[in-house]
Amino acid sequence: MAKVDATPALSATVEVTTWVTRHVGGDGSGSKLFTESFVPGETLGQVLRRFSARYPELDAALWSPDHSQLGEHLEVVVNDAVLGVTHQLDTPLTGGERITLLGQFMGG
Amino acid sequence: MSPTATAARPAKKAASAPASVPGYAGKLLRVNLSTGKIWTQPWAEDMREYVGGIGLGAKILYEEVGPKVHWDHPDNRLILATGPLAGLPVWGTGGLTVITRGAQTDGATSTQANGFFGAALKYSGYDAIVIQGQAKALSYLYINDDTVEIRSAAHLKGKDTWETQEALETEHGLSGHRLSVYSIGPAGENLVRFAAIQGDYGHVASKNGCGAVMGKKRLKAVCIVRGTKALTPHDARGLVQAADDIAHDLKTDPGTSTLYRWGTLPGVSNLYKLGVLPIKNYTTNLTTVDMTTWEPAKLRAGFDHRGHQCNACGMHHCHIQVIGKGPKAGELVDEPEYEGWSGAGWQIGLTDKEAITWLNTRLDRACLDVNEFGWVCGWVMECMEKGHLTEKQVGFKLVWGDVDGAYRLVQMISHREGFGDVLAEGVKRASEKVGGEAAKCAIYTKKGASPRGHDHRGRWEEMLDTCTSSNGTMESANATHQTELGLPGRINPFNGEEVARMVGGILGRKHFEDSLGGCIFTFRTRIEFLARALSAATGWTYTLADAIRMGRRTAAILRAFNLRCGIGTDLEYPSARYGSQPVDGPAKDHNVMDQWERMREVWYETVGYDIKTGKPTRETLKKLGLDWLAKDLWRK
Repeated sequence: MAKVDATPALSATVEVTTWVTRHVGGDGSGSKLFTESFVPGETLGQVLRRFSARYPELDAALWSPDHSQLGEHLEVVVNDAVLGVTHQLDTPLTGGERITLLGQFMGG
Repeated sequence: MSPTATAARPAKKAASAPASVPGYAGKLLRVNLSTGKIWTQPWAEDMREYVGGIGLGAKILYEEVGPKVHWDHPDNRLILATGPLAGLPVWGTGGLTVITRGAQTDGATSTQANGFFGAALKYSGYDAIVIQGQAKALSYLYINDDTVEIRSAAHLKGKDTWETQEALETEHGLSGHRLSVYSIGPAGENLVRFAAIQGDYGHVASKNGCGAVMGKKRLKAVCIVRGTKALTPHDARGLVQAADDIAHDLKTDPGTSTLYRWGTLPGVSNLYKLGVLPIKNYTTNLTTVDMTTWEPAKLRAGFDHRGHQCNACGMHHCHIQVIGKGPKAGELVDEPEYEGWSGAGWQIGLTDKEAITWLNTRLDRACLDVNEFGWVCGWVMECMEKGHLTEKQVGFKLVWGDVDGAYRLVQMISHREGFGDVLAEGVKRASEKVGGEAAKCAIYTKKGASPRGHDHRGRWEEMLDTCTSSNGTMESANATHQTELGLPGRINPFNGEEVARMVGGILGRKHFEDSLGGCIFTFRTRIEFLARALSAATGWTYTLADAIRMGRRTAAILRAFNLRCGIGTDLEYPSARYGSQPVDGPAKDHNVMDQWERMREVWYETVGYDIKTGKPTRETLKKLGLDWLAKDLWRK
């Protein structure tokens, strides 16, 4: 019988919306949902980095050129709140969060 | 003292005729409608400081429109300006900036439109038209290279803006891009305070009642035959390289590729997720409507459409479309911008897409600003629902989402009929007149300017910008490539200090953009690229720092103009509803007024203005090279 890891796996939903879906194999409309597993203590930033690493175009769009911080063109929304309100990148996730990647919209 | 007199300007040094600057036409066209005099004025010596568009307009406004020359005075100036990139092969360079003393705030106005006007004007040999006086009867201005005439517009009286353009096309035997027409409809003729100037089928200079100013001057239209004069940039190869970089950036940058593909359509579904889509006059931020049907591709695919690009533009932004179903089937309309979907739709409880597109174009044709109409119409609908306004007062029953009723209101406002005469003053004045509980439901700034078509209770930076600005609308707008200026890539949108530092930090960028003669959307690229394009066009060496300095100079001049008009710091507040806390949706836990005073303090510190007087400080003015303005403002 295989040994069961004692660390409980948690998960969050990553929702990639409208034109941003083109970076994850979509057609630029609707939403694509992904379930991301993580272990207790992992932060929003760690989960986002692991997720975006699988999609080079998204990775380039999401982070600054030196990868040290988020770029300025995608909104990250956690449970309907823009990043900075309830969550920072170093905020540990607790499971069940909905992380939405939203194209920045400018004006008009 | 003549009401037009202003403080004495330092005597200019005697100089020989300035050399022309590449990229520019080198002349301003001056028109006095009272006397019929038309003349040209060479322009070159201070181009580098004022560039064009809003920069040029701010200078003329400050020098020529005194404090007693209110928006409806014949000596008010209506400045239709373009800039050094207009008519050159850079995307979206048919730009027109309208600068005047506007009807809503009775202060400075700068509002932009596109199409082909700016290019046609430059090809005719002019960088801007400066209109003063008042015609004896309804007239239009005809420009065909060196032929400039004030002609009777008696046959155009009462026509809407599309009818006016069609009539002038027929009259001159020119259509398509060979004739650019910007005109007013009945709302402008009847001096509605939020009348706009509309042109080239769907482009609107909409803010602060510039259409009412044109109506007061009895100027129905400006009609320009695409001119024949060549524009020669200093460095054609460098200009094309900069233009290519701009186009590539717009296509590929994560922040602007959405604009490239769909213009402003993504705003509806995206802003809803952030609680920024205004719904039913700010009474809710939630809907049961399936928002996936409001995604840009689906919005566009719902209509038979084709591109309707502006001068030299490769964006998939502006479109003309045909209504395919419903009672308005078959009608040709302009694809609404995001603000059309919000102002003529969600804000008034209307979610029928065909009805919204129809109403949006009807507003353009009447020449009403879609934002202010949304605030007016939504206010009436809410007040009637709650019993604050009666059927007897309004003249009929108007409920949420009633497109026919909304159009009836358009007609009443445009012709100042019945209660429409009250509403034609804009929602601030109308709600103050009605008073009582109704007054508490109105969305406006204390200056009288219309908020843009967002729910700013979820986007504090735009509320702060709208309330502190000096141009009758947002003067900085939302941050674009702000890391170029050393500002953070993102902020907590509900942290007032961070918001204020961002809004103050980007001051000047948009003024620079709006001086170049292009489109707000194609110029949402890096300032570095725009400065390179300007340098290649003119032969100047223009840097990012030069660009921001130029923009901040312009902002300071407009601020000084408004202070001279009596528009001070006491008016930098939202109305009760505009600044209220949302009752639901993503922003419901955040009350902007809890942080408002601190936001103002930080904004004033950041831009270098004095919070007590509202004036740019002496130090700020000195840094900007505006010593002459410091003498005016500080009197020593």
